[in-house]
Amino acid sequence: MFLRLLYQSFRRQQRRKLLAGIAVTLGVAVATAITAVGVNVGDKINRELRTYGANIVVYPEDAALQVRIGDQEVKPTSSGAYLKESTLPNIKGIFWARNVLAFAPFLETQIQGPSGPIRVFGTYFDKQLRFGTEEFSTGVEKLYPWWKVRGEWPKDSSSDVLVGSQLASRIGKQFGDSIDFSGLPARITGILSTGGAEDDAIVAPLALVQQLAHAPDAIDKIYVSALTKPEDAFARRDPDHMTPADRDRWYCSPYANSIALQLREVFPGARAEQIRQAAQNEGTVLSHISGMMLLIALAALVAAALAVSAAMATTIIERRQEVGLMKSLGATASTIASLFVCEATLLALGAGIVGFFLGDVIARRIGQAVFQSDVSITPVLLPMVIFLSLLVTIGGSTAAIVRALKLDPVLVLRGDA
Amino acid sequence: MSVRASMFFHVLKRGLLGRGNRPLIAFVALSVAATMITAMLSLYYGLESKLNRDFRSYGANITLASADEQQLPSDAITRARSTLGPDAIIAPFAFAIGHTRNAQAVVVAGTDMDQVRRLNAWWSVSKWPDAEDEALAGARAESHLQLHQKGFVLDFAGRTLHLQQTGTVKTGSDEEDRIYVPLVTFERWTGMGPSLLEISAPGSHDQIISAVAKLQSAFPGMQVRPVRQLLQAQGGVVSRMRSVMLASTLLIALTVALCVFSTLTSSVLERRRDFAVMKAIGSSQTTVNALFAGEALTIAFCAGVLGYVVGSAVAAWISQANFHAVVAPQLSVLPLVILADVALALLAATIPLARLQRIEPAGILKGE
Repeated sequence: MFLRLLYQSFRRQQRRKLLAGIAVTLGVAVATAITAVGVNVGDKINRELRTYGANIVVYPEDAALQVRIGDQEVKPTSSGAYLKESTLPNIKGIFWARNVLAFAPFLETQIQGPSGPIRVFGTYFDKQLRFGTEEFSTGVEKLYPWWKVRGEWPKDSSSDVLVGSQLASRIGKQFGDSIDFSGLPARITGILSTGGAEDDAIVAPLALVQQLAHAPDAIDKIYVSALTKPEDAFARRDPDHMTPADRDRWYCSPYANSIALQLREVFPGARAEQIRQAAQNEGTVLSHISGMMLLIALAALVAAALAVSAAMATTIIERRQEVGLMKSLGATASTIASLFVCEATLLALGAGIVGFFLGDVIARRIGQAVFQSDVSITPVLLPMVIFLSLLVTIGGSTAAIVRALKLDPVLVLRGDA
Repeated sequence: MSVRASMFFHVLKRGLLGRGNRPLIAFVALSVAATMITAMLSLYYGLESKLNRDFRSYGANITLASADEQQLPSDAITRARSTLGPDAIIAPFAFAIGHTRNAQAVVVAGTDMDQVRRLNAWWSVSKWPDAEDEALAGARAESHLQLHQKGFVLDFAGRTLHLQQTGTVKTGSDEEDRIYVPLVTFERWTGMGPSLLEISAPGSHDQIISAVAKLQSAFPGMQVRPVRQLLQAQGGVVSRMRSVMLASTLLIALTVALCVFSTLTSSVLERRRDFAVMKAIGSSQTTVNALFAGEALTIAFCAGVLGYVVGSAVAAWISQANFHAVVAPQLSVLPLVILADVALALLAATIPLARLQRIEPAGILKGE
C-alpha cells in the first residue's frame, strides 16, 4: 500500500514533482559547479602567475660576484665554476618533478661588435630532452611567454640566433641578415623584445654559445618555473633543525624552499634559491584568490540549500488536502511523514545525480571560457553532493511536513485552513 | 483622496501588517536574495582593485632611464611625482662599481631607502639602514666585504668611503651581488646622481599603461618601459578572476531567485480565498492585480534596501577577512538590487495570479 502510494504520487503529480526536481537539480548543479571551479581556481591562477617566469634559480656554489651596470661590466676573474648541461634532465627526477613547468639553462659570453662588446646568452628555445623513458621539451619559449619575437624562433640544433630589439637598431641588423659570431657565421631569424637585458643582447642556442666560449657542457645558471604552495610559517623553518617527521612533511610539500633543496640534491656543488619577487608575491595573490573562492563556494551552498528547502516546503504545503484525507482515513502521523520523507529521498537522489552532472558540465564550460582548460571534478565530490542534497531536501521538507500534520483534517478538507 | 483609493490603501496596509507571518516570509526571502546579490556584486566590483593592490607588492611596474645610461636630470623625481600623483612609489637608483680592500669589484647602488622599502616589500632584509653611513649588503656580496666589527671600506676612483653594515638583503636575484647605500652618501662619494627610476604606479593594467604614456610625454627622449612580465601576469589574473566572479554571481543569483520565486508563488496561492472574496464583493480584476502588485512592490522595495545594507556589510566583512581591506559599499549596486528584487516579486506574483483568474471565485470559496 505504502509503495503504491509512493508510486502513484510520482505518477499523478508529475508537474509538481518536476518543479521540485528542477529546483533540487539546479541547486545541486550550482553548488557542484562553483565548488569545482573554486577548488580548481587556485591551480589555474597559479599557472597564470607562472607566466611571470622563473621562481627558482640554480647556480654554482662558488660563482663569482656579478659586477655589471648596464653596458659596463668589470669582468670578474672567472672562477670557472659551471654547472653541467648533461645533468639537466635530472630536474625531472626530483620529488616534485611534476610541478616543474619549465626550465632553461643559461650561459653568458661576449663577442666583439662594431662598437664594443655584445652580450650573448646561450639557452634552450624549445629543446627536446629525455629523462629515463620520459620525453619532454623545455626552454625559454615556455619559461618566458612574454618574450616577443618578430620573425621566427631559432631551432636549438641550428646556428640561428635572436637579436635584441635595441641592439638590432643599434647595429642596423634585420631578421634574415647574418652576423659574424667570432668566425662562426650565424643567421638572425628573429628580433627579440623582452623589456629586459635581452633587448640589448644576442640570444643563441646553448650549443653554439658553448662552442663560442670554449666551454663544452657548461652552464652558468638554470632558471626554473615551478608550481609552488604559498609560503607559510612552516615553509620558512630550517629543515636541518626539524624532527624527521616534520622534515618529511616539509620535503613533501611543494614549497619553493623544498623544491630548491631538491634541486640542490640533483646538482652537486650548486646553490638553488627561490626568486623571492616571484615566489613571495605569488603566495599573497594565490591565498587571497583561494580564500575568496572558498567563501563564494560557501555562499553558493547556502543559496542552493535555501532554494531546495523553499521548493520542498512549497510542494508539501500545496498538498495539505492530501494529508487531511489520509489522516481522516486513519493514517498515523508517522506513516504520512515517512511517505513524504521517502518521496523527498527519491527526489533528492534522482535530482542530485542529474544536478551533479549538470554542475560538471557548467564547471567545464566556465573552465573552457575563462581558463581555456578543463576544470576537473573529482568523483569524491559525487557522494558528498548526494549526501548534501539528501540532507537539504529532507531538512527543507521537515518543517513543512510537521506543519501539514498539525492541521485539523476537517478544516483542511473544508478548505478553511 | 477618493473613497476607492483610501480603501485600496487600507486593504494594502492590512495586507502588509495584519496577516500573520505570510508577508514576513516573503520579506525574508526577498531580503536574503537582495543580500546575496549585493554581497556578490560588491565583491565583484571590489575584487579588481584588491587584486591590483596585491600585484603592486611585486615591486616596480615601470622603469625610467635615460637612453644612453647617463644620469637623469636632477628634477626627474619631482617631475615624475607630479606626473603620477602621490600614490606612486618612486625609487631612484644610482650605480657605481666600487672596490673592496682586497680589490674585489662590487656594484654599489645609491637609493632612497624609505621608497625602496615600500617598493620591494618582498626583499628579505635583516635590518634596514637609517643613518647616512650605514649600508645594506647583498647576501652574496657580504662575504667579500672584509668586515671589521661591521665596518668596511669601499674605494671609488681613489675616494674612500667608510661604511657600517647594518643589514643583509636576500632576494634570490641580482640584488644579492650589490651593496646599497643611502643616495646622499652615494652622491657625496661619487659625485654621480641617479640613472634609473623604479616606479610602482597604482591601478589596473590599463591605468599603468596610460601612466607609461604620460611619463613618456613628460620625459621625451628617456626610456620609459613597463615591466612587461608583471603587467602580463596582472592583466591575465585580474581578467580571469573577474570572469569567474561574474559566472559565480550569475549562478548564485539564479539559485536565490529560484528560492524566492517558489516561496512567493506559494504565498500568493495560499491567499486564493482573499482573492475570491474580493472578486465576490465586486472589485475589478485590475484592482485585485494592483493590490497584489502593490504588496509585492512594497515588500520588494523594503527587502531590497535591507538586503543592500546587510549585503554590503557581508561583503565588507568577507573582504576584511580575506584581503585585510574593506570593500566600500558600492552605491551603484543599490538600484540594481532593488530593481532585481522588484522584478522578481512581480514575476512571482503574476504567474499564480494569472492562474487564479481562470478560476471562478465561487469555486475557490467552496474549497475546490
